[in-house]
Amino acid sequence: MPVVRIPTPLRPHTDGQDSVESTGTTVGEVLGNVGTKYPALKERIFDDAGELRRFVNVYLNNEDIRYLDDLATAVAANDEVSIIPAVAGG
Amino acid sequence: MSTAVDPIERYSRQVRFPMLGEAGQRKLMASRVTICGCGALGTVLANHLVRAGVGNIRIVDRDFIETHNLQRQILFDEQDVADNLPKAEAAARKLRLINSQVNIEAVVTDIDHTNILDLVADADLILDGTDNFETRYLINDAAVKLNKPWVFGGVIGSEGQSMTIRPGITPCIRCVVQDNPPPGMTPTCETAGVLGPAVSVVASFEAVEAIKILSGAYDALNTELFVIDIWDWTFRRLKIKNLLGKVDCPCCQQKKFEWLEGDLGSHTTTLCGRNAVQIATRRSEKLNFAEMATRLNSLADVRHNAFMLRFAAEGHEFTVFPDGRAIIKGTNDISKARTLYAQFVGN
Repeated sequence: MPVVRIPTPLRPHTDGQDSVESTGTTVGEVLGNVGTKYPALKERIFDDAGELRRFVNVYLNNEDIRYLDDLATAVAANDEVSIIPAVAGG
Repeated sequence: MSTAVDPIERYSRQVRFPMLGEAGQRKLMASRVTICGCGALGTVLANHLVRAGVGNIRIVDRDFIETHNLQRQILFDEQDVADNLPKAEAAARKLRLINSQVNIEAVVTDIDHTNILDLVADADLILDGTDNFETRYLINDAAVKLNKPWVFGGVIGSEGQSMTIRPGITPCIRCVVQDNPPPGMTPTCETAGVLGPAVSVVASFEAVEAIKILSGAYDALNTELFVIDIWDWTFRRLKIKNLLGKVDCPCCQQKKFEWLEGDLGSHTTTLCGRNAVQIATRRSEKLNFAEMATRLNSLADVRHNAFMLRFAAEGHEFTVFPDGRAIIKGTNDISKARTLYAQFVGN
């Protein structure tokens, strides 16, 4: 099953888990299924229209999905989808 | 007192590093860098570059030093806090003792769209020591407009990120981070904490990229988004270079410099997590601190030096800078802070 990696600031919305197994054959399905289980997470990564929020970046393994097929990017069973927010401090 | 006879000799250990060599060292010594922000990242960056002999370094910072900075801001000490020194000035004083060969300029100001071009126009490279994306977007606009490289770094908790931006060659920061997360959506160093070693790692990656750029070692540069967590011991290199031209970036593709033109961003702002507001005004004439101190003398504990005037009133601590900018502690309410400013500093 594909795994979704959850960044530290969003872990309060996944019961503290740093990764969550999901189902689906595209990045959109995989994230959507995690969002169904964890609605507060969904709200933080998707806007009302169901698009990824512009400050949220998603990577399939180590590739930015925006130069693949965005949410339609195909996901295989052993793939890893990572949500990586920008780190602002310093 | 300078002990070095041959100016290169003090750098012998890095000159022996074959990728740099004497030719690279001479390029460093002829270079000019602007470091934006002199807090946790900025002090580590400045420390590395001054010791490495980068010839001309401008350090820009808007803030003063507080005791809770000392955990990670490596150029400051308790005496600097007691002396009420601004960060840029305290850093410059320390760094001049470390390497008298380097020309160090301290600029105490808030970086905004009116001054960024002046601060970076003569620099070969801009380094990010800031703690917010508003200033980073401004740096990015200026860097793309002037076709200058810059290095991004960010840290929170035990996590950090860095990427190297060369306009037209790599994606810019707005290609990768398209929007500034709204307040409350992302943690800050004040809410989530930050570990000194995480800062050192990220700033050190920025510094080595700086040394490569300034010495001309472009082939060795990082072309990915470097992401670490020093607590979990995870290191990732996310592939981003194909984003160049793929996303319709307002900055590097459309050449719309919305931050530089002042269309976006505000500088009268709450300082997130600090229970403080910065009032940004810029006066044409410098404030006369001696006169102000006399006027405010009925208030508690009015102190001033060449760089700032500080006093307490109505349960708030005011720190006022010569250009009129002020940081008012004890509130997150911008309108209240503006009222207090008008009341005690003036309009």
